Amino acid sequence: MQRTYKKYGWMFVLPTLIAFTIGFIIPFIEGLYLSFCQFTTVGNAVFNGFSNYIAAFTDASFLRSAGFTVLVAAVNVILINVLAFALALALTQKLKGTNFFRTVFFMPNLIGGIVLGYIWQILINCVLALVGQPLLKLNATAGYWGIIILMCWQQIGYMMIIYIAGLQNVPDDLVEAAKIDGATDWQILWKIKIPMMMPSITICVFLTLTNSFKLFDQNLALTNGDPNHMTDMLALNIYQTFYARAGKAWKGIGQAKAVIFSIVVVLISFWQLKTTRSKEVQQ
Amino acid sequence: MKKWQNLVAVCAMSVSVLAGCSSTSSDAADSNGEAGAADGAKGSVYYLNFKPEQDEAWQNLAKKYTEETGVDVKVVTAASGNYETTLMSEMGKSGAPTLFQVNGPVGLKNWEDYAYNLYDTPVFNQLTSDAYALFVGKDDVAAIAYCIESYGIIVNTTLLDKAGYKVEDIQSFEDLKKVADDITARKDELNFSAFTSAGMDGSSDWRFKAHLANMPIYFEYQEDGITDTDAIKGTYLDNYRDIFDLYITDSTTPGKDLAAKTGDDSRNEFISGEAVFYQNGSWEYNELIKNGLKSEEITMIPVYIGAGDEANQGLTTGTENYWVVNKEASEEDIQATLDFMNWCVTSEEGTTAMADEMGFVIPFKDAKPSENVFVLEDVKLTEEGKTPVSWNFTTMPSEEWKNALGSALTAYAADPTDANWEEVEKAFVENWKTEYDLANN
Amino acid sequence: MKDKKKLTRMLLVGLLIILACAWIYPIVMILINSLKLESAISTNTTFDMVNGETYAGLENYSKAFSSFGFMQSLGYSLFITVTSVAAIIILCSMCAWYITRVHSKLNSFLYYLFVFSMVVPFQMVMFTLSQTADMLKLNNPFNLWIIYLGFGAGLAVFMFAGFVKSIPLEIEEAALIDGCTPLQTFFKVVVPILKPTMVSVAILQAMWVWNDYLLPTLVLDITKYKTIPMLIQYFRGSYGQVEMGPMMASIMLTIIPVVIVYIFGQKHIIKGVAAGAVKG
Repeated sequence: MQRTYKKYGWMFVLPTLIAFTIGFIIPFIEGLYLSFCQFTTVGNAVFNGFSNYIAAFTDASFLRSAGFTVLVAAVNVILINVLAFALALALTQKLKGTNFFRTVFFMPNLIGGIVLGYIWQILINCVLALVGQPLLKLNATAGYWGIIILMCWQQIGYMMIIYIAGLQNVPDDLVEAAKIDGATDWQILWKIKIPMMMPSITICVFLTLTNSFKLFDQNLALTNGDPNHMTDMLALNIYQTFYARAGKAWKGIGQAKAVIFSIVVVLISFWQLKTTRSKEVQQ
Repeated sequence: MKKWQNLVAVCAMSVSVLAGCSSTSSDAADSNGEAGAADGAKGSVYYLNFKPEQDEAWQNLAKKYTEETGVDVKVVTAASGNYETTLMSEMGKSGAPTLFQVNGPVGLKNWEDYAYNLYDTPVFNQLTSDAYALFVGKDDVAAIAYCIESYGIIVNTTLLDKAGYKVEDIQSFEDLKKVADDITARKDELNFSAFTSAGMDGSSDWRFKAHLANMPIYFEYQEDGITDTDAIKGTYLDNYRDIFDLYITDSTTPGKDLAAKTGDDSRNEFISGEAVFYQNGSWEYNELIKNGLKSEEITMIPVYIGAGDEANQGLTTGTENYWVVNKEASEEDIQATLDFMNWCVTSEEGTTAMADEMGFVIPFKDAKPSENVFVLEDVKLTEEGKTPVSWNFTTMPSEEWKNALGSALTAYAADPTDANWEEVEKAFVENWKTEYDLANN
Repeated sequence: MKDKKKLTRMLLVGLLIILACAWIYPIVMILINSLKLESAISTNTTFDMVNGETYAGLENYSKAFSSFGFMQSLGYSLFITVTSVAAIIILCSMCAWYITRVHSKLNSFLYYLFVFSMVVPFQMVMFTLSQTADMLKLNNPFNLWIIYLGFGAGLAVFMFAGFVKSIPLEIEEAALIDGCTPLQTFFKVVVPILKPTMVSVAILQAMWVWNDYLLPTLVLDITKYKTIPMLIQYFRGSYGQVEMGPMMASIMLTIIPVVIVYIFGQKHIIKGVAAGAVKG
């Protein structure tokens, strides 16, 4: 069978592989190489060693945006997952209107980040105006919480769906047996449901973490880094290094930042998957 | 049967794959063909426009030009706030813009390497004054201004009448303060305020951190006989404080709420008759008329700050819109671009569109008169022998400088103490030097 | 005991209703404001209901429709989404099936490469990708699917591969013995089994492609084509003024089709998301 399949292999793999080469492999390798160069287009790259990386690490705005990203990601991961889990628990109680609630909570996922950013910018500015606080443009604290509220609003529904699916996979007889043994709801949650749901928790934490780290559209539309780049996240900082700074040096520095950013995201993703997966095995 | 099906499946597959390739290659051939034809004869124009509100007018004008001459003109408008990023990403592509814009000497620095020397080109020779060109050396012109705008204090004369004053009563800062204070004192009886809210949100703060800040810079440059500096002294900062105090005290809105006010809020207050004075520019004209104000009841007066020769002060007139031709473009495209620019500022269609549809005053010999009352006011004042105040905020060292000044002004508006004003002064004087050094080293 | 339980359930429903309102409110707010006159929209009246004095009718909508080629952009967005998603579900399922079924070092290397690409942020390749696309003339809506196929392949292959592993080999073996070629086997035997996963992948990818902003902004030839997310930005003027009315109307216009699709297909969409996650 393997042999028959192999003969036709090109037919199955080639179309995707060609597109993958154009859309990912070539740009990725080129990008890796360019991070060691000074360039304004791919054609005029001049090798300059590690100086881009040195410049990236000494760029205060890059470090600040990294710190800001970590702050956003940490709060996001906790808030979104706790709330989504709570909602999933509530919606698996066979209440009236469960379907309706599920539909409503999931809806923001269908709206793009740019549009979401504008909607929340209007809304948050109005609240700030009514309480007499500076608007988003001048208000980094509001910008920070704005990004978090927006992300919660958008992503809780998505994670909730995954948690509901996970909860439905918890065998009823296990829960029933525990109840007969006199376990409280709280104990059932911690001793049975959560351990059984580790796969869902893994995937949700993974998704919220990478989504927060890679966040761009919402950041661009909601605050655009205002005031004064205080609410820049990493992706936006890299974008601005590439496209908002004139001068020959910046594109190389931007590419170096992108490489650092990629390494960080890849490491975090794999570390996180590994640790949560190892917990699954223990259970 | 099975084999036949298999064949069909394979065919379908390869078609779907090849469809991509074939359309790719035919596309490439197409554009090569176009480019080939273009090389021989005409060239084409790609204009990256800065002002979203004029997008439609530019598109129409480009279409007319193509109909008339057969030369292909593409106009693309960058979304607001995205001009630099769009320009940067477009410059990296194969069909880069042939014509783009910078906002003045500081903006030009980023793009000087791309600027084609416009000296002695027909469109340059059409300029009414060399002052509208940005020289980078003798006989080397990198950019030329294509529209002139004026700003000052827009006045609702109907309301001013109601308060018992005429526009002519205001000839100096002292007059302005007297009138504004009087209106504020009788605010409840009159039912309107002197000034619209000086919102410090990003849609409005440029009116103070750039346009109003131009006044002390202008008078300092005048006094020192310079047009540019690496270190500002802040000679007229007290006057800057006086006028800003007037804006925030004789206003519709208490100072501490200004951080929450936008440009729209301010305009809407003016339109709905809540205030007499509104600092803004000639570009606001269409918006005000569209929303129900009549051109007879609005006019514009100079921003008096109590410095210089106030009797002869005109409106603040200048530009931050300069055309630059991309010298990396092919020779034919550069020629086509120069022809297009020249046509815009000399032909009947071009000048009419720029005056009427776009509402520009263009600094070229064949310019059409505009209907914009603010522009007419500027012409009138200049004819009366008053000196227009020039736009010097294009010499401000960086965006960061403006932002820092804006933050300090916001803090001061919320709590107008001497300590907070010192922060404004610091942001004005010390930060100028810091930012200038950063930008020039 | 029973009463207490009933009470907590009622409280829970009450809480959920409040939350649901909070979830819908932002969109309702945009809807209300999109019906207001331009001059009546300001920061601190955003929460006010529209009334006789401020009602603008559908003026903002007609403005949004007529400006900046709204319909055209809608068409491009739709076209790009449909072609990209179709290419992804057909070609990536084939690829995933092959590299899971045929064991070789190259195939497992490819698999890990796909998984790796799924995690790498777009910023890593944004500049080089836009240059490559420009060079290969992939910068128009008709060829953009190739880029989306390439960049979306990671997630799709990952999800398909996860599912293919759970399909028993016997069915395919039987088909092969019947004389089917691998291609026939795939389309006749494997695809029907893969259908639920295909729906999940299609939904996830459609949500991504339809809403994507940065990739089309950098890759597409913006002198000719704009997609819907790119268009929204154009209601801001150069002096900071925003045409709030038309902008909110255009926000509504982009949301409405999506919400309609969602209401009709919500079962599939929600199931698809859940299934996709569990497989992953």
